[in-house]
Amino acid sequence: MVDFLQALVDGVMLGATYSLLGLGFTLIFGVLRRLNLAFGPTILVGIYAGSHLSLAWPGALVPVVAVTVAGALLAGVYVERFSFRALARQAPVVSMISTFAVWMQLQELVSLLSPSRTMPYPSPVWLPAVAVGPILLRSDGLLMWSGATLIMLALFALLYRTRFGTTIRAVADSSEAATLMGVNVAMVGAAAFLVASAVGGLAGVLIAQSHQQVTPYFGLWATVKGMTAMLLGGAGSLPGAVVGGLALGVVETQTLWHFGGQWRDLVSYALLFLVVALSPRTRWGSGL
Amino acid sequence: MLAIEGLSKRFGGVQAVQRVDLQVRQNEILGLIGPNGSGKSTIVNLVTGVYAPTEGRVRLRARDITGWAPHRVLAAGIGRTFQSIRLFGGLTVWQNLWVARQAQAGAGRLRGWLAVDRAGMKRIEATLEFCRLLDRRDELARNLAFGEQRRLELARTLTADPEVVLLDEPAAGMNVAEIEELRDRILTLKQRGKTIVLIEHHMELVMEVAERVAVLNFGEKIAEGPPARVQDDERVREAYLGKRRD
Repeated sequence: MVDFLQALVDGVMLGATYSLLGLGFTLIFGVLRRLNLAFGPTILVGIYAGSHLSLAWPGALVPVVAVTVAGALLAGVYVERFSFRALARQAPVVSMISTFAVWMQLQELVSLLSPSRTMPYPSPVWLPAVAVGPILLRSDGLLMWSGATLIMLALFALLYRTRFGTTIRAVADSSEAATLMGVNVAMVGAAAFLVASAVGGLAGVLIAQSHQQVTPYFGLWATVKGMTAMLLGGAGSLPGAVVGGLALGVVETQTLWHFGGQWRDLVSYALLFLVVALSPRTRWGSGL
Repeated sequence: MLAIEGLSKRFGGVQAVQRVDLQVRQNEILGLIGPNGSGKSTIVNLVTGVYAPTEGRVRLRARDITGWAPHRVLAAGIGRTFQSIRLFGGLTVWQNLWVARQAQAGAGRLRGWLAVDRAGMKRIEATLEFCRLLDRRDELARNLAFGEQRRLELARTLTADPEVVLLDEPAAGMNVAEIEELRDRILTLKQRGKTIVLIEHHMELVMEVAERVAVLNFGEKIAEGPPARVQDDERVREAYLGKRRD
C-alpha cells in the first residue's frame, strides 16, 4: 500500500511536467490544426543554452532559467516562421514533415555546439526532501509539481480570463468564423505558438533540474511525452492535456515500482494505443 | 448605397452568378429571392469577399470594394449572417460578441488586448438586449436552442455596427413566433437607419418587410420591383412553379 501511494505521489509530481508539455502541444495543435514534432527539440535548445550558461557562471540559477526559456522561445520563433507561417497554404502534413526536418537540425546543432553529448543542468539539490508519514517527497519532484501547477494556473488564467485568451480560443473553435469576423488569424496563431514555446521552456527547466543533465535525445523524449499527454487527453482539449499528462506520469511510476523500469514505456504506449483505439468519440481537435 | 455591377461568378463549368446588377438604396430593405441554387448566397459571398468575382464590381457608397478580404469588407461597413450557423460553440454568448467587437475595433493588436473597451462593452450589452439574449450572456453558444443561436449570430454581426446588413436566410428552421419576432427586429433595424438585404425562402416574411424584391433564377436576375408586382410576374411564377403547359 505504501509502495502504491509513493508511486502515485511520484507519478503526480512527474506527470505535472508531462501536462505542461501536453498543454504546449495542445495550444499549437488546437489553434493551427497542425502537429509540431519540433516542440521537444525547441525545449532542448533552451536547456542546452541554460546548461552552457551554468557551466560558465555556476550558481546563477535565475539567469539559467531565463536563458533556458529564452532559448526555447527563440527556437519556437524559428519553427513558427519556417515550418508553419511559410507553409500556411500547404497541406498540414507538409508542415509536419518540415517540423521533423527542423527537429533533426536542432538536435544536430546542439550536439555540434556542445563539448560533450551529456551536459549538466543545475538543480537546487540543497533543498531538503519532505517526509509525510511513510511517503517521501523529493525536492526535485516537489519543485516539478509546484512549478508546473503554478504555470498551469497562469496559463489557464491567460486563456480563460483574458481577451487575448478568448481570441485564441475563438480561433481554435472556428478559424473560418474568426476570419470572417475580422480576426487576424495568422497573428493569433503566432502568438499561441509563442505562449506554447514559453510554457515548453519552463517545463524544460523543471524537468532538467530533476534529471540534472541533458542529452540531444531530450528532444525526442519531450515530443513523445507531450504528444502522448495530448492524445491521452483527447487531442485539442486543454483540461484533457492536464489529465493526460498526470495519467501518463502515474502509469509510468506505478509500472516502474511494480514491474521494473524496462516495462515502463511499453505500458504507457499500450495505454495510449488503447485510449486511441477504444474511444471513437475522442474529440480530435474540436476547440480548446 | 450598395451597388452590384455586372457581377459574375463561375465555379469550374458552373455559372453560379451571371452579370447581375443590383442597387440597394440607403435605409431600404431589399428582398433577394429565388429557388435553391439560384445564386443568392453566392452573391452574398461575392459581396463580403468570401469569393472573388470572375467579372463585375461591388461598390459601397461609390467606393470599389471588389475582391476585398472579408474583414476589410466588414470594417468598411457590410456585415452578414450565415445560412448555416457559424458560432464559436466553446465560447459564451458574451465572448462570441466580444471577439467580433475586438476584431473590428483593434484588429487583434496588443493594444486592443490590453485596453479596457468600455464603449465596446456597452455596445455588446445593448446588442444582447436588442436580440433578447442578455439573460443568456454566460451560456456557452453550443448550449443555446436553435432560435437563440440564430439570434446570437445576428447579434454578433450587429456588434460591429455595420451600415449594411446582409441576412442570409435568417428565418430558416424558425417557428412562427420566432419569425414574427425576427420581422419586428428587422423593421427596428431599418428604423435605426440600417440598410438591409434579406435573402429568404420564407415568402410571407419577405413580402411583409421588403420594399423592393429582386428575383434570381439560374444565376440571373429575372425580376425586380415592389413585392406585389414581382409576385405577379410570369417569369417569377415559372421559376418557382415550373412552366405552364397549355
